[in-house]
Amino acid sequence: MLPACSRFLKVIVAGFVWLGLTVCARAEGEPNDAVSFELDIVPILTRLGCNAGACHGKARGQNGFQLSLLGFYPDFDYAALTQEARGRRVAPSAPESSLLLKKAAGLVPHGGGKRMEPDGAHYDLLRRWIAQGLRRAQPGERVLEQVSVTPTDRTLAYHEQQPLVVMARYSDGSTRDVTGLAAFQSNESAIVAVDPAGVMQASMLPGEAAVMARYMGRIAVCNVIIPLPGSVSADLYEHLPRHNFIDGLVWNKLQSLGITPSMPAPESTWLRRVYVDIIGRLPNPDEIREYGADSSTDRRARVIERLLGRPEYADYWANKWADLLRPNPYRVGIKAVFNYDAWIRDAFRKNKPYDQFVRELVTAQGSTWHNGAVTLFRDRREPDEITTIVSQLFLGIRLECAKCHHHPFEKWGQEDFYGLAAYFSRIGHKGQGISAPISGGEEVFFTATGGSVKHPLTGEVLPPKPLFGEAPSGNAEEDPREGLARWLTSPDNSYFPRVIVNRVWADLMGRGIVEPIDDLRATNPPTNGPLLDALARTFVEQKFDLKKLIQTITSSYVYGLSSLPTERNVSDTRNYSRHYRQRLRGETLLDAVCDITQVAEPFSGVAPGSRAMEVWTHRTDSLFLDSFGRPDPNRDPPCERTGETTVVQVLHLMNSPGIHGKVASDTGRVARLAASEKSPRDIIGELYLLTYARLPADDEYAVGEKLFAESGVSRRQAVEDLLWALFNTPEFVFKD
Amino acid sequence: MPEYRNCNGVTRRDCLRLGVGGLLGGTFVDALRLRGLAADDAPRATRPTSCILVWLDGGPTHYETFDPKPLAPSEIRGEFEPIATKVSGVHFSKHMRQLANIADKLAIVRSIRHHDPNHGGGNHYMMTGAPTRVPVGCGDFVSFHPSLGSVTAHERSAADGLPAYFSMPNMSRSGGPNFLGARYAPFVTGDNPNSTAFRVRDVALPQGLSEGRFQGRRDVRAAVDKMVRINDQAAGDPVRALDDYYAQGYNLVTSPAAQKAFDIHSEPPHVRDKYGRNTFGQRALLARRLVEAGVPFITLYEGGWDHHTDIFKSLDKRLPEFESSVAALIDDLDQRGMLETTLVVVLGEFGRTPKINKDVGRDHWASAMSVLFAGAGIPGGQVVGATDRNGYAASERVLSPENFASTIYRKLGIDPDKVLYTPDGRPVHIVSDPNPIAELFA
Repeated sequence: MLPACSRFLKVIVAGFVWLGLTVCARAEGEPNDAVSFELDIVPILTRLGCNAGACHGKARGQNGFQLSLLGFYPDFDYAALTQEARGRRVAPSAPESSLLLKKAAGLVPHGGGKRMEPDGAHYDLLRRWIAQGLRRAQPGERVLEQVSVTPTDRTLAYHEQQPLVVMARYSDGSTRDVTGLAAFQSNESAIVAVDPAGVMQASMLPGEAAVMARYMGRIAVCNVIIPLPGSVSADLYEHLPRHNFIDGLVWNKLQSLGITPSMPAPESTWLRRVYVDIIGRLPNPDEIREYGADSSTDRRARVIERLLGRPEYADYWANKWADLLRPNPYRVGIKAVFNYDAWIRDAFRKNKPYDQFVRELVTAQGSTWHNGAVTLFRDRREPDEITTIVSQLFLGIRLECAKCHHHPFEKWGQEDFYGLAAYFSRIGHKGQGISAPISGGEEVFFTATGGSVKHPLTGEVLPPKPLFGEAPSGNAEEDPREGLARWLTSPDNSYFPRVIVNRVWADLMGRGIVEPIDDLRATNPPTNGPLLDALARTFVEQKFDLKKLIQTITSSYVYGLSSLPTERNVSDTRNYSRHYRQRLRGETLLDAVCDITQVAEPFSGVAPGSRAMEVWTHRTDSLFLDSFGRPDPNRDPPCERTGETTVVQVLHLMNSPGIHGKVASDTGRVARLAASEKSPRDIIGELYLLTYARLPADDEYAVGEKLFAESGVSRRQAVEDLLWALFNTPEFVFKD
Repeated sequence: MPEYRNCNGVTRRDCLRLGVGGLLGGTFVDALRLRGLAADDAPRATRPTSCILVWLDGGPTHYETFDPKPLAPSEIRGEFEPIATKVSGVHFSKHMRQLANIADKLAIVRSIRHHDPNHGGGNHYMMTGAPTRVPVGCGDFVSFHPSLGSVTAHERSAADGLPAYFSMPNMSRSGGPNFLGARYAPFVTGDNPNSTAFRVRDVALPQGLSEGRFQGRRDVRAAVDKMVRINDQAAGDPVRALDDYYAQGYNLVTSPAAQKAFDIHSEPPHVRDKYGRNTFGQRALLARRLVEAGVPFITLYEGGWDHHTDIFKSLDKRLPEFESSVAALIDDLDQRGMLETTLVVVLGEFGRTPKINKDVGRDHWASAMSVLFAGAGIPGGQVVGATDRNGYAASERVLSPENFASTIYRKLGIDPDKVLYTPDGRPVHIVSDPNPIAELFA
């Protein structure tokens, strides 16, 4: 009880000080303008960076002085300034001796350095507020209602500058220029930079940027476009091919930027691309020859259709979802993870509509031994743990921040977070819980009769509440999760389809229309809003059918563009004027190496001969998959795997005994090819088809034939060396 | 094309010429070091400090290692007697003989404590310097914050395309990179270096492939690599990064000095004997060689320190071998003049319970633990902090895992107060309390 009492005493003491000193301050004859804590002081603390996440705004404060992050909780800040540290931070009787002023002006040593000038406007305002007696609020004080920025849309030429003006509008109708107090940030500072004074500066890259102005937790955005100089005739865009709606929407965007698309990719590149994208494996030589021999006009459409019907489709796409959902079996148990994996794969085998997939997952009930989907709740046992993953995966709304403080770039606060969490307040479970490292027991999940979620600060019990819109709840017996699922998957919820179409688009096109792909917010706008909306609309119309979505995207003309730039699109990395190269996923690469060498990789915990794509846990030992990156199932929040390349990957391809063994195996394809009657030329052709999905050019044949002809090099050795070389080139490692 | 040679082809004469004749011999790695220094055009007077972190997974007992309590009741003090060390007034437990002989080079911190007496949480706290954000269980493998090794790899790099963070024989539970990403994950070398067939994975040519043939493959690769690179920086072609890594990889494979670093077999037998012909001893020796080659962070993971049962019998078997390997490592580093720039740390996730349980074991206990530090300019012959009379809790100079982590970062030349940003833009201090253990700085 003592700490509470002493805090209470402090409040009283501070109160007396405050009363006594208000009088003194008046006697000093300060200017009449009453300084408002909320309207004047907090904005300065934000502007000077005092309450930033790396300084006093972090959860443990800095050197014992903590402010609310970016000033979202003025009551907290007021107490921190006036009541803590025995009142040394602000001294109304001698304002200049206040630590607040001395530290921030650098007059005494300050870890954060000098933040303002002792003769500047910020100093003066802070000093006046202290001298006026630290008023928490003025009587009848106006309230900030809206923040706007001018201009809201602007086209800039290379190197052009444009200052922004930020206006605040208050409840009494008054307005105020707060440009000097606002913070600015560009989402693409390489394209448009913005300085602390709000002056935007265009670079020499064509493209778009959203420049955000933030003032007291409110955000206004200016959208800037920098077209490529020079003109392109409208005719050019007019005559570009349009396979479906995607193409027109991409051309519109390119036209606004003055960018022109690349040439179509060669047939072989397209074929390898579409195989990797839809089923995660390379086409084999027979498939390549068959495609080459097919002269019908709809041959691409038939390849896409056939691939979508292949069993590898389900494993490949389930594998991607497993990245997002898969827990650590040492934590939740092998059987639970195995069943979860099987449930995900089954959904893709059946091409379960995406809304149904999400509904079944979010409302899952029953035993971990019978319904794999409940493993989500076995792994994430508290409402707040489920909330973050559900909002991020299925809405593209990152609420993690709002668990502990107001989201710095968004409207979400703690009440939003815990209101959503309340949907998970009545998940009952019985049976054996987590007992790592084995956790082998069965656990059953059901709708409990009671359970609630409280606001962590106020302690108030929060009813389930959606983040936006309406979500009618069912009767009292119904699990609140049912209501959540209806709201999530409702046709009115625009976030739900947009985040999934963006995810699939990013997989196929190499970059999301929104990046990061699950971070949809006003301050992170899509690079092509109409395209994202149209994809989402089509997806809803097609009844959330993922195969149709993939078919739509891969059928577009844009999907088939070359990765090689033209003069007018070399710097475009966002608008799909060319294809963006991606490194193959670890599983795809490893399966390709096994398919090509015809030497299987032995994995533990799966049937012999299983492919990497079929492995049901990231805990299976595999140096190859470790090197090429698989998600760490221990990380929280769960992460996407990254497609980056590393020196470790290169060393593994070059030197690993695993790959060396496959290339040099006596029972693999290399040995068979070498022992066959085939001519060196045929063998070379075969290896190119296997690795690059194309036949060699004449000079490439020549390189190979020279190798075969070298004295002292056996046929077997020549095949091994050529295959090793092909494995170690980017044309194999990347999807072009 | 520089001259290259594979470790397989190195003759005894080469060894002598290179000066790896003995434990006291000069170091062939000087050559490598000079090369590394020349490469970055910024000659430094001294080598940057590296860290060898010996992780005793399970939580080693403080009573039977560095914090004996001979005056405690028998159900607490246990079966082992204390022994005197080279530093008067400092006592270790009876098996720590070799370390007692070099106690003047060691600093034992007896007063680090935390509140997470389960493996999942304790591992995370000590391995990252950050507590878990939510309570986690014993079996949990969690990652909420980048590990000491990953941050080091992020802030420092190794010469010659070497990975900057090694972990042997596997990654420790919370030893991953978290938000820093795959590039900063540990390079795991799993095989047994005590075996005659041992090779560090992937950094040398596969067995059976001659150098000449590898050179031939390189030539073929150069000839078949026809993919067009997009050279304009603004195009962000990921293939160009791959090219850089191949250049690094070739450099590593063809650099005789770098290759020597991995070749534990070239170490004279008496040196290998001194480290102990067991997996841990040989890993410690390999760690020294990696430090010589410029690797900044190496974790040696040793499992099996969770002595809930038969603690005395188990330790009778395990401790003598283990502690003499650690002593050999510190000794060897010292004799080679490398101890000043190498930090050796030995710890686990927590200490163990004061009362011996019914199974003659000790259970998890986070209120007290002992951590060994040596090298990197740490004043030796000292004990920092103390537990109470019976070893229940750190009672003098109580220190936190944050102080521990900050000490390691400071020694490695990394500012623990530095702010890193997650991909979401959230600022994160490397360590939330950047104060190191002052006594360990001269």
